[in-house]
Amino acid sequence: MIARVEVQPGRYHDSVRLMQASKVLQELPGIADALVAMGTELNLSLLADMGFDADAAAGAGPNDLLLAVRAENDQVMEAARLALEAALSAKPVASGGLDGPEPRTVGSVAARSDANVALLSMPGEHVFVEAMDALDAGLHVMIFSDNVPLEQEIALKAAASNRGLLVMGPDCGTAIVGGVGLGFANAMQPGPVGIVGASGTGIQELCCLLDDADVGVTHALGTGSRDLSESVGAVSTLQALSALDTHPPTELIVVISKPPAASVAARVRGAAAACSTPTVVTFMGETTIEEGAAEVLMRLGVPEPAYRSWDSGGGPVRQGTIRGLFSGGTLRDEARFIAMAEVGEVGTVETADGHCFVDYGDDEYTKGRAHPMIDQTVRLDRLAAAADDATIGVILMDVVLGYGANPDPASELTPMIQRATDAGAAVVVSLCGTRGDPQGRDEQAAALNGAGASVWLSNAAAAREAVRVFAATNGGTT
Amino acid sequence: MSDLDQLLDTEASVAAVGTEMLAAAIDQQGAAVHRADWQPPTPGTAAALARLAAGGSTAEANSTALTRMLAVRPQLTDVSTAIEVIPGMTERTFLHAGPPLEWERASGPTRGALIGALIYEGLAADPSEAEAIAAAGEIELSPCHHHSAVGPMAGVTSASMPVAVVEDAAGDGVAYSTLNEGLGKVLRYGAFAAEVIERLRWMQEVLGPVLGAALRSRGPIGLQSLIAQALQMGDDGHNRNRAVTSLFLREIGGALVDGADAPVTDRKAVFEFIDGNDHFMLNLVMAAGKLGSDAAAGVAASSLVTVMARNGTDFGVRLSGTGDAWFTAPAPPVDGLYLGAFTEDDASPDIGDSTITETVGLGGFAMAAAPAIVGFVGGTAAGAVRRTLAMYEITLGEHPAYQIPMLEFRGTPVGIDAALVVRTGIRPQINTGVAGKVPGTGMVGAGLVEAPMECFTEGITALAERLE
Amino acid sequence: MTAPAVEQAAPPALVEVPAVASLAVRALVAGRRRRFGVLGASTHAVWLDGGHDVLVLSTRDATRLPNSVELPFDADRALMASIPPGDTMQVGGGFVTGGPLTVRVVRWWDPRLVLAPVAPGVLERRLNGLPGEVPGIDSEPLACAIRARCPTGVLDAATELLGLGDGLTPEADDMVAGTLAGTRCLGHALGMRRSVAALDAVAPVLMATAMARTTTFSAALLRHALRGEVAAPAAAFLRALAGRGDVVAAHTQLRKVGHSSGRALAAGIVLAGRTLIATA
Repeated sequence: MIARVEVQPGRYHDSVRLMQASKVLQELPGIADALVAMGTELNLSLLADMGFDADAAAGAGPNDLLLAVRAENDQVMEAARLALEAALSAKPVASGGLDGPEPRTVGSVAARSDANVALLSMPGEHVFVEAMDALDAGLHVMIFSDNVPLEQEIALKAAASNRGLLVMGPDCGTAIVGGVGLGFANAMQPGPVGIVGASGTGIQELCCLLDDADVGVTHALGTGSRDLSESVGAVSTLQALSALDTHPPTELIVVISKPPAASVAARVRGAAAACSTPTVVTFMGETTIEEGAAEVLMRLGVPEPAYRSWDSGGGPVRQGTIRGLFSGGTLRDEARFIAMAEVGEVGTVETADGHCFVDYGDDEYTKGRAHPMIDQTVRLDRLAAAADDATIGVILMDVVLGYGANPDPASELTPMIQRATDAGAAVVVSLCGTRGDPQGRDEQAAALNGAGASVWLSNAAAAREAVRVFAATNGGTT
Repeated sequence: MSDLDQLLDTEASVAAVGTEMLAAAIDQQGAAVHRADWQPPTPGTAAALARLAAGGSTAEANSTALTRMLAVRPQLTDVSTAIEVIPGMTERTFLHAGPPLEWERASGPTRGALIGALIYEGLAADPSEAEAIAAAGEIELSPCHHHSAVGPMAGVTSASMPVAVVEDAAGDGVAYSTLNEGLGKVLRYGAFAAEVIERLRWMQEVLGPVLGAALRSRGPIGLQSLIAQALQMGDDGHNRNRAVTSLFLREIGGALVDGADAPVTDRKAVFEFIDGNDHFMLNLVMAAGKLGSDAAAGVAASSLVTVMARNGTDFGVRLSGTGDAWFTAPAPPVDGLYLGAFTEDDASPDIGDSTITETVGLGGFAMAAAPAIVGFVGGTAAGAVRRTLAMYEITLGEHPAYQIPMLEFRGTPVGIDAALVVRTGIRPQINTGVAGKVPGTGMVGAGLVEAPMECFTEGITALAERLE
Repeated sequence: MTAPAVEQAAPPALVEVPAVASLAVRALVAGRRRRFGVLGASTHAVWLDGGHDVLVLSTRDATRLPNSVELPFDADRALMASIPPGDTMQVGGGFVTGGPLTVRVVRWWDPRLVLAPVAPGVLERRLNGLPGEVPGIDSEPLACAIRARCPTGVLDAATELLGLGDGLTPEADDMVAGTLAGTRCLGHALGMRRSVAALDAVAPVLMATAMARTTTFSAALLRHALRGEVAAPAAAFLRALAGRGDVVAAHTQLRKVGHSSGRALAAGIVLAGRTLIATA
């Protein structure tokens, strides 16, 4: 073991750098002890405490660099010298940008940007805190997430309406604000219609029909699936309705929802009647979306088009029940409403007997995976099963296009559709999409059609077609 | 025109938080989307956070507490003696840093400092007698924070010590701190050798009286402006106080020459003592912070952090809205750089009230202003800037006086919100000195540490319970 | 002797940039592909001349014009600025392409302004104190003609002013554009159909005159103004005059646009408002 003490007069380094240099030395193999410090009294006494020859540093002052190393041998000592030089003369690493971390909270994004709407899609239990953050920052909020406790929805909507802000959701799948689609939304051109909707796919289907009639929208404001419940009391629906009523470019308003609580329905109808802008109220179950769209078009003086469809060519179809495989709850409800008028009871859960129309967007099927509009795994599995199930004659399914949805649903579905049609089943597709959708509406339709499916832009028309095929192959009603 | 009308008249600019897919869909539409790197809150806090948000009063309470914290105008008015000015002080009272503590649980540096203080006060003749007295419970241990005081490292303050008196020019608050002894073998790092006691005596007999007389003759020294200037000269207000100490010397210089009735050798010694100790102002910056901290305390429903303090055993946090409660967790080890042959094995866990600086927007929260200090954290200057930037995520405001030139004179992040800490998982950054764990050792290094999350989760839970 | 093979630098990757365009230029952008000449290019905008029509490729932080095709914030600005004047770009089929730039229009916005009805007295109060003239421009004959609801008078007065001043859009053109758009939009809001009809009557001739008397770009903006389509800050000012938004704030914002364009547009709108009220 050898020790060396050295004084380098007038060589100043700040104490931090010296500490780092000491650390570098101490970590070298073969070094027992090292001190790299300015020659202050404190450090000189430290030197003595460490057992170095203090006399060797006699006369060193606070402006002199003090080096003391105890090493195994000369070789290590030389290595230490080099390492020390390197450590003391190291050039700092280029500092790079002054970027902080990504914002972590809605409040932080709001403070750092010109955002005016927050789109929240974290797990429902965490939504409330972030949504309050957004409201505190003066942002409107769209809550895509579901599983937000009811009392939190009520509190949020109360806080928002006090501030003149809108809460769309929770469980709000779709909105179009100033042309920008939030959540699952179809590409819509600007136009005269303002939509207020408590159902995401309801808004999407309406958009899809209006677009086919070349009618655009100003805004489509979602309100969330529970907004028209007794306990929430349509807070967001009424706010959105009143805002669209005074929005000059909006020439006609549509309110679209599943059937609400009776008292709430009356309140919404009252508010709609009081609007100075013509307002169409469509409560599904009382009417279909297609009928709602027809009324809108009639009021605008636009002829109702024959909504596009792509015929399958109509080969022979095996006998059997109708199986509905849906990703949109509202589309399922509309189709079921239409079918039940013709074929009697249609179940909503998977069953071996009789007709059933299942919504695979329901919680039960989405635990731990993305919505079927994105991840079609479950529906593909059920489609395959239906293809192989000789008791099923007609498979009715929706395919929803637009922003946020699967980028190419047809490519995944066509092999299974082909399998079903090859096996003699009829496949009827309700295609919810607009001409501007990124998936390419007509390409998707053509691909689905090419696999043997008949494709209908109107969900109601698809349902009627399924019923028609069923009736034709089963010789009348069941 | 309402906000909703405004939304309908302009194009949406979206803060998309949660699923990336939905943010990407907005990008696809050529529209403005701003993302957050959202993470679930610290486990076990979701319900408490929701309750706070639902209470509806926390945002306003926090704003009130922060306004009060920032409204104080600390000025150094006097140097007196602990027993004369500190409330509740007795001859057998020994204040210490951090949350409440008993001798049995006391860390090495705290024990060392108590031994030194007992000898200094003449209550014990030697270390073993001092230990016996302390162990027998014959002295009263109490946190500085319970007496309008703060103390760095061990923070031990006893009756005869000279203390700085910092008063609020904009209110009636007063805060106290001991005077800084310098680095190395000093009482606050747990050293108690004869030279330590001797220096304390000199501070009591010369430094305190001379400074006190000088201050009384020249009038109070405003501390906020000194600290603000020092931040623009490369200080952070916690571990780099070279600029603020120099500025202080300029302020007091004239009065040292003609304002103190003391022998010129004493006045010279005082000048040299301050000049030779780059940390001299640390204690005064801390007392200034304590004024703000006390002013912000006691606002119901506020989740603002008023105190972060450690004693080498526990790390303690207090919130404005939870009264006198301390939320504690074991003091964490410091990720440090060590002096001489010392290693992390020699280090005491985190200790000292000096985290009051981080509580008021200095120290780790102002590191972007102090490029020369960044080696403490082992990184680059840009790294220090990022650390400061990260603190904006957990703070309620930006300091109007303390500005960071490198960030285009943005105010330092100030007003830690415990709710934001548990929401983001970002813990307050602290830079600190490191004391030796064996009583009597003194300083062994310096480094960086983050406040333990448990303090904040407990605090938020307790605050939420109070709202019920 | 043969030279060693040189590896060709790979051409820059073609990145498709999503863009948002004005419905007013949909026929151009979504229609048959045509060549447009590059009038000029900067880090914020590329001006494209299609002979009769002008398009502006601009980034979102630039002022949104009624003939804008708007690119996202993170558009490659250096790439935009590097496009040499005189180059051509292809416009049509929903795309604007040229050199390394491929812009796909994914969304449309409507530049037409629909204002809520407003009473003359209310509008007068909102216009109170706002400057309705631009130094050096005699706009009185134009105001006079609008007051008289005289189409030929409007035409003559506007013709006198066109092309006066410097810049891509001469100052007087901006003022005329403001007056025309203001007359149309505020005329609707005030329910003054005859004043609006006077504009319709002169529109075709005025446009032909503009093509001859001023820059292509300015003439295009005048055509939009005649239809009531204006730059976004002018739209916000008009909306505020009709009761949606703070008038002073919107006026201040508008006056900040460009070097003198915003001020001249604002003055034109104010002039139109006052003239209409005087007629009502």
